[in-house]
Amino acid sequence: MKNTHGFGGFVGFVRFGGFGGFVGFVVLAAGCHRAVAPPPSDPMLDAIRAEERTAGLSYAEGQGRQLFGQYCSTCHGDEGKGDGQNASNLNPAPPDFTTSKTMKDAAYVRRVIAEGSAAVGRSPLSPPWGKSLRAQEIEYLVAYCHALASKKS
Amino acid sequence: MREPQIAPPKLNVTFAVLGIAFLAIFSWVFFHEEGAEWRSAQSRFRQIEVRVKNPHQLAQAAEVGGLRQIWLPELNRVDRCTTCHLGIDDPAFVNAPAPFTTHPGTWLTTHPPERFGCTTCHDGQGEATDVEHAAHRPTELFDRPMRPLETIEANCGTCHRSLDPPEAPRLAEGRRLIVASGCVSCHDIPGFEGMTFSGPALDSIGNKIRPAWLGGWLHDPKSYLPNSKMADFRLTPNEIASLQAFLLSLRAQLPLDSTGVRWNRANTDAGRALFGELRCVTCHAIEGRGGTMGPELTRIGDKVKRDWLFSFLKDPHRAQPATAMLQYRLTDDQLRDLTAFLLEEYRTGDAGPEPPPAPADPLAIAAGRETFIRRGCASCHHLAGIPDSGHLGPSLAGVADRDPEQLTYGAPGVRRTIENYLFLKLEKPDALVQPSLMPTFHFTPIQAADIALALTGLRKTELPASYVITHDPPPAYTPAGPFGELATRYRCMSCHSVNGSGGTLSTVPFDRIGSQLQRDYIATYLMNPGAVRVSVEARMPVFHMLKDEAQTIATYFDSVFRDAAIDTYDTQFSPADERRGGELYAQFGCAGCHQLNTKGGYVGPDLTDTGRRLKPGWIAAWLASPEKYKPGTLQPDYGLSAADVRALTAYLSGLGRATRTTPVTKPGGPVSR
Ligand code: HEC
Repeated sequence: MKNTHGFGGFVGFVRFGGFGGFVGFVVLAAGCHRAVAPPPSDPMLDAIRAEERTAGLSYAEGQGRQLFGQYCSTCHGDEGKGDGQNASNLNPAPPDFTTSKTMKDAAYVRRVIAEGSAAVGRSPLSPPWGKSLRAQEIEYLVAYCHALASKKS
Repeated sequence: MREPQIAPPKLNVTFAVLGIAFLAIFSWVFFHEEGAEWRSAQSRFRQIEVRVKNPHQLAQAAEVGGLRQIWLPELNRVDRCTTCHLGIDDPAFVNAPAPFTTHPGTWLTTHPPERFGCTTCHDGQGEATDVEHAAHRPTELFDRPMRPLETIEANCGTCHRSLDPPEAPRLAEGRRLIVASGCVSCHDIPGFEGMTFSGPALDSIGNKIRPAWLGGWLHDPKSYLPNSKMADFRLTPNEIASLQAFLLSLRAQLPLDSTGVRWNRANTDAGRALFGELRCVTCHAIEGRGGTMGPELTRIGDKVKRDWLFSFLKDPHRAQPATAMLQYRLTDDQLRDLTAFLLEEYRTGDAGPEPPPAPADPLAIAAGRETFIRRGCASCHHLAGIPDSGHLGPSLAGVADRDPEQLTYGAPGVRRTIENYLFLKLEKPDALVQPSLMPTFHFTPIQAADIALALTGLRKTELPASYVITHDPPPAYTPAGPFGELATRYRCMSCHSVNGSGGTLSTVPFDRIGSQLQRDYIATYLMNPGAVRVSVEARMPVFHMLKDEAQTIATYFDSVFRDAAIDTYDTQFSPADERRGGELYAQFGCAGCHQLNTKGGYVGPDLTDTGRRLKPGWIAAWLASPEKYKPGTLQPDYGLSAADVRALTAYLSGLGRATRTTPVTKPGGPVSR
């Protein structure tokens, strides 16, 4: 009996300790939760991200979008759909980038942009920009064209 | 012989302990270095290298091992980034994972690492050789963690000091906004020295403004002009009332006499037609559409008095000597019709009759004068008898070097960086420090971010001169000779430039205009300017210029603004050249962008009349290198051979030669609203 009692006392002790531990854990966890502050905010960065990533674009694609707006969208349209204000004057018309198969090939796109569509055996209507734009600018345009082409229409 | 000395037992123990300690430290150092992050990175790199390169390339590849560093004593930098970023200059690693990928773009060609290192552009701790200490992410431990790409253009600004730094659109926009918002009126800003910003002269504003309008304007300028250059000074009702009294008391100059004008005969339809013909919208917007050089006119009827407007349209330079607005040649009847149309059409409701001038309260006027001085109005509006307030704000030199911990952010939980401080200050100047004299500009978040970005490039660090790229503003051009007087009246330099000085609205600088355009064409065009490119909305105003005036300008251009390099072109073309030019015109797809006899695209100018319009030497010079004459032009450089240039020039200068001279297109009709 004594033993049992002693054992029971031990079990009680363990139970009590376990419960105490649990309570301690909960209190501690709650404390920790409060202690881990959310990461500080970066309002300036957020403003730029909101602007540049509206269309889910990377930095390079964002730069490409600006160049595209300046040099290409009169024919290709802002979203590369082939609906720029000058598109109706063109035959063949500028293709819709979002459905064109050839647009998947970055080397081909780079060639059209730098050397003109005549360089890949098409009409001469997409002009060559390789001598007017810097290599970096061509890369941005390639990146943006790629982004346009991979967009779900 | 001496006895060998044996250390006493106590020292033995000390030696043993020391020996073991040394061994422990030594092996810790050894294993620590052996296991250094960069060593495992280098061995991972070697595994990847084997995969991405063929055996030949591998045989050529340099052995990778050990710490690597770029030492730039001039810039006081040691960058060890290339210890792990091993593939940055090797195209084979385009698709390799970080940190081994090839550096994107052509940046390393334009900014070779041997000269610039890595941290000059990226920031971060260049000397560190592990991810954490290199400060790849924002951290409390280091002042200058690596920049995210979104703000990296701030560092472009450290070396590139011109107003339009290349390939840094955010930075360029930030600098443009600094100029356009008049920051220089209150702050010294390095790189913007000598720039001034001023608002309209106020010396006779009491004769110009309808009193009811003024209170609303002072309370919130944006509610009248959405892109007003004047900021919101968060004036109290008392300040507004006193300023109103003071400003309305300013009546130095009466409007031109208009007592003889028969307003009951005003024809607003004729006024509307004039408004379109004069191309007012090139500079003034209506409901957000149109130019921005002058103020938007959507509610002009709420703002100004009739007699003042009549007088201003008749001679804008009398009331506002510094205005960009030209003086049209209009009769009093035309001026009356235009004035009546503007006041009738562009107002919110019935403004009612103009109230007689209120009796002046000397106390209120004095209080207003005091407010005018205290709030720094005189920094932008110079007024006789009132001292220029000078720079009321602090200098922004080295602002990026201020200790972010010492600044207030107005809200908890903001990362303490100079960017965030500047951004928040620009967005809401009074949220950080009260009271703040700085007005609220109501910048959009992205505008505030762009300005903050431009300002964060302003560091105290002295750069070696060989790294700094400045572009001094061109010396101001003042038109002289017989042209000078006309150029002042018609304000040519508001839109056109000479040697980089002048306006930017027109895409045609005067520098070589006499070598570009046919003299007769200039004279006819000035009398009746039409659209050369139909897709461009900003057009040359129809001045109602006299024939003599047009001739004077054409002659002046033809003799003064010449470019010998263009003039010396041999213009004796053969019929074969001309024929070949026609073929090339088709081959290059020129019709994609240019109209010829009503067929073709709308991107470039209509070419139907080219021979009558342009001089052959110019056609050739332009075709050979368009970027040289107009950076950013939509005309591509086809890399034409001299023979092809010649053929195309022969063909184009034959166009429109035989036909009777007719304007290319009709001048703009009334704007449709
Ligand atoms: C004058 C109008 C015009 C301009 C300006 C223009 N393009 Fe094009 N582009 C076209 C036309 C038309 C085609 C189709 C040519 C064909 O199919 O023969 C085309 C084709 C292309 C293609 C191939 C599309 C495909 O589906 O394979 C690419 C890529 C392209 N353009 C990119 C550009 C970029 C980038 C710019 C600006 C830097 C630009 N273009 C400017 C008219 C233009």
